[in-house]
Amino acid sequence: MSSLLAIDWGVIAILLPLAGGTACVLWPALSKPAGLISVTGVVLAIAGLGWRIMENGIYRHAVGGWGAPLGIDLFADGLSLIMLIMTALVGLGISFYARRYFSPRDAVRFWPIWLFLLAALNALFLSADIFNLYVTLEMTGLAAVALTALTGRIDALGGAMRYLLATLLGSLAYLLGVALLYHDAGSVDIATLAQRIQPNAAVWTALGLMSAGLALKTALFPLSFWLPPAHASAPAPVSALLSALVVKASFYILLRLWLELFGDFAQGASMLLGLLGAAAILWGSLQALRQTRIKLLVAYSTVAQIGYLFLIYPLASAGNGIAAGMAAYLAFSHALAKSAMFLAAGNLMLFGGHDRIADLDRAVQRLPLTVAAFALAGVSIMGLPPSSGFVGKWLLLDAAMSQGRWDLAVVMIIGGLLAAGYIFKVLGYAFTQAEVPHDARAVPAGMEWAALLLAIGAILLGFMASEIFALIAVDLVVNADEAGTVWTA
Amino acid sequence: MLQWAFDTMLGFGLLWLAWRALNSSDLFKAIVLFIAFGLLMALAWVRLNAPDVALAEAAIGAGLTGALLLAALARLGAMTDQNVSGASAYPVPSAQPPAGSHFSRGLLILLLSASVAGMAYAIWSLPSYATGLSMDVAAHLDDSGVGNPVTAVLLNFRGYDTMLEMMVLLLAVLGVWSLGGLQQQPEKPVAAVLETLSRFLTPVFILAAAYLLWVGADAPGGAFQAGSVLGAAGVLLLLSGWRPRVRLMQWPLRLALTAGAGAFILLGLLTLLLEKQFLTYPVAQAGRMILLLESLATVSIAVTLAILFLSVSSGHKEKSGKGEKK
Repeated sequence: MSSLLAIDWGVIAILLPLAGGTACVLWPALSKPAGLISVTGVVLAIAGLGWRIMENGIYRHAVGGWGAPLGIDLFADGLSLIMLIMTALVGLGISFYARRYFSPRDAVRFWPIWLFLLAALNALFLSADIFNLYVTLEMTGLAAVALTALTGRIDALGGAMRYLLATLLGSLAYLLGVALLYHDAGSVDIATLAQRIQPNAAVWTALGLMSAGLALKTALFPLSFWLPPAHASAPAPVSALLSALVVKASFYILLRLWLELFGDFAQGASMLLGLLGAAAILWGSLQALRQTRIKLLVAYSTVAQIGYLFLIYPLASAGNGIAAGMAAYLAFSHALAKSAMFLAAGNLMLFGGHDRIADLDRAVQRLPLTVAAFALAGVSIMGLPPSSGFVGKWLLLDAAMSQGRWDLAVVMIIGGLLAAGYIFKVLGYAFTQAEVPHDARAVPAGMEWAALLLAIGAILLGFMASEIFALIAVDLVVNADEAGTVWTA
Repeated sequence: MLQWAFDTMLGFGLLWLAWRALNSSDLFKAIVLFIAFGLLMALAWVRLNAPDVALAEAAIGAGLTGALLLAALARLGAMTDQNVSGASAYPVPSAQPPAGSHFSRGLLILLLSASVAGMAYAIWSLPSYATGLSMDVAAHLDDSGVGNPVTAVLLNFRGYDTMLEMMVLLLAVLGVWSLGGLQQQPEKPVAAVLETLSRFLTPVFILAAAYLLWVGADAPGGAFQAGSVLGAAGVLLLLSGWRPRVRLMQWPLRLALTAGAGAFILLGLLTLLLEKQFLTYPVAQAGRMILLLESLATVSIAVTLAILFLSVSSGHKEKSGKGEKK
């Protein structure tokens, strides 16, 4: 058992999808099996990593044996682990959906890029070095753009181009901040930086550049202009990956920088982020309500839900641990619900050949599992009990009220009501008969179940809040001596 | 004094070229200005004592990016010629601002000026000289297997970053392929001058690439510079009408594209199994391992760059066909 515990699961979670993706390039015919094996392997590796973290505390691996700050350290604490678990589970669900979704021609293109994206996300969540974070961020962005353009349709190309320009601008702003911090403090290792950093002009500029770049990549209102066309025009599994996982990557970096480097002296900037978050909730929800197509509706809903994540910043005075826990929990909950929604939307689109909400035409009778998946995911997005969306938003509401931030509390409640509005709009049309009947195509059962299982996950996560918060509290629980006995046992 | 004057001219020259390139309504002219900008930028890197960056900037920033931009422009021209409404589909930036946007333009200029001023102040306030990690790098250089600190950082101390960068290159090719794929094209006869020139230059390029690769261990050079020079040789051959055989475009091409990334992955797995430490080279073997990694990476980088050029310059038939379907 201890030999299993000694395996560096973090490294494997990065190397395995990289090897799988490379194998897909070398032998395109084996793309699908190589992809499914790699994704399943990643789930096992993350399980191993989680077990190791529970036993030994924070995971650290000095790549190349040099150790930070000269080399790069892989690092995982509770927050990283939750993001990794989110990526692995949602990625697994979407992979099983994609298995049936893509034509053989598109599958050959999808799998290697998705595996590289998975590796990049894992590497990003395992990084504790601001330059290495840049490399993983760039890899994530490029893979995401390539996936958006996968079908080669005109609207997808337009969305992808806009996405590419936005994501490159975001990365460059971030990189400029990295250069300033390195010149100022002489290190790119977050732990070293945290000891050396003093609020001066260079650090403030770095904070501004990095926050703006990452907010652009996370699509925080009003920098969210690129998200709806990109997420709505991509193939369904890709939309799910983008909304559920890719925007969380840049959000995670911002959160990490804030927790470790900037949070102590940037209260004013926290207020601004919170304000934009509140605006995102209102604007995104209103836009979602106005849409006539499901995928655009779900995409605008993402803009709104990202707003909730940014309310963490002004409310973080409750303590870093609690703020990180709320952020990770909300991100996980949104990833499960939103991936289920996009996959369900993909099923409806495949079924009817369109995604016009008004012409859903009794989908509930003909695709009951898909509509159930959409409804369950909607329950979590609206924040109704007992879903994870309810628990996450309740914690946020509680923090807002205990700190006297009634304005934020009101925005959250209005956001919930608007979410109910746009979700019931879709569900309502799913029950009614359309004026013009449409031909329907069969949807493979696997695709319906993938959406439903992810949506059920979003509900079940609501019962596991205490476990998630226990993970966040993981610290160096075991001292060196005890760790030694674990290793030799 | 002379250096100061040169640097001032260089700085203003860069700004002027950048402005002209951005402001040019003729895209061809803008690209040529961009190439000139890249060459001046390489000079600026030389002045900043960063010859490694200068080499990469000259080869990739000015050379290959310029070639890719020109190829893309040729394709854009072919597409707009076929479309009657081409002018509206690909608007060339006009000098006249659209009416009613004066306020937003003013606001944008104000915001940009404010952020530029803020950044300038921040950079001004930085210490003029920062050691950063250079002392740390110098202290461990003997264990890295190479004598050039830049190569030591790229391939050993931070080899993991370079491994991910190799994946980024592979992703770039996959991304371009997912847009339109790669079509086989027959060889095209070209002017005799170009053919003679490429016959003469290709061996020189290969020799230069090999030199850069080898010298990278102890002096400015290395896989990225060697790969981009070798890639430039490939672009030259493609320009002079040469096309790789169909057989070569299947698994040999895929093997060449993945060689660098694959070598990193295999080495990562091996070191993890044998040393229990990801990408840790035994000190005695480090030099040889780095040379092996760099050689394979050179091949991958060169093939990637040449294939990107071939993919962009070929296959506009399929693209425009899609446009018509829509």
